[in-house]
Amino acid sequence: MKEITAIIRRDKVPETKKVLEELGYPSLTLQSVEGRGMQKGDMCVDMDDEMPESFCTAVRLKPTSSTYALEHSLPKVALFVPKRMLTMIVPDDLVTKIVKSLIKVNQTGRHGDGKIFVSPIENAIRIRTGEKNGESIA
Amino acid sequence: MKMIRAFIRPEKEQEVVLALEGAGFPSLTKMPVFGRGKQKGLQVGPVRYDELPKTLIMTVVDDEDAEKVIGLIRDKAWTGFIGDGKVFVSPVEAAYTVRTGEAIL
Repeated sequence: MKEITAIIRRDKVPETKKVLEELGYPSLTLQSVEGRGMQKGDMCVDMDDEMPESFCTAVRLKPTSSTYALEHSLPKVALFVPKRMLTMIVPDDLVTKIVKSLIKVNQTGRHGDGKIFVSPIENAIRIRTGEKNGESIA
Repeated sequence: MKMIRAFIRPEKEQEVVLALEGAGFPSLTKMPVFGRGKQKGLQVGPVRYDELPKTLIMTVVDDEDAEKVIGLIRDKAWTGFIGDGKVFVSPVEAAYTVRTGEAIL
């Protein structure tokens, strides 16, 4: 068994759920999280590049440090972007298929599409019946 | 790769994040959580707090960087009092970037 942790955009959740249902693996855990990646939480990286030059003064707003940084005598404030984290436990042979379809659905080609992690799971037990390992996730 | 999950004091979160960013690890996910440890919460006079607020910081790093990141978190989240939190490390087999579809961190 493997655990797939996908950190994706919030507005892609319904589509992702639909695709997983079609694959026959609808079970997942959904969490509301905040995160940052290589852009350090700056949401305007892509937006700024796509804006026409004529908009520059009005729209090129970069997030700046807030009063939080001043209050806590920090050099700057750490920015975060709201995301959704999906966790699902799947059998070994389905991992590639599910990861591929997750990438296909969530890809927009812009920064902030998210990450997918695959990690091993030793055991899974269904509380209601006490089934172990493969039976409990089937 | 290793997944590092650190349960830290919410007020230390910004310091830890900025320290990690300074060392070249800007990527992480955080979520607010509630939990308790060995002391079963906190007793303040007659009032018992069963679950205390913590921040869970989750980050995935290469094997050789794991010790460094744990050291940074320990350094910045440490106060020396009960309730500083815990760090858990677990293996990650693969990481994909959705934007490019590549299997790299």
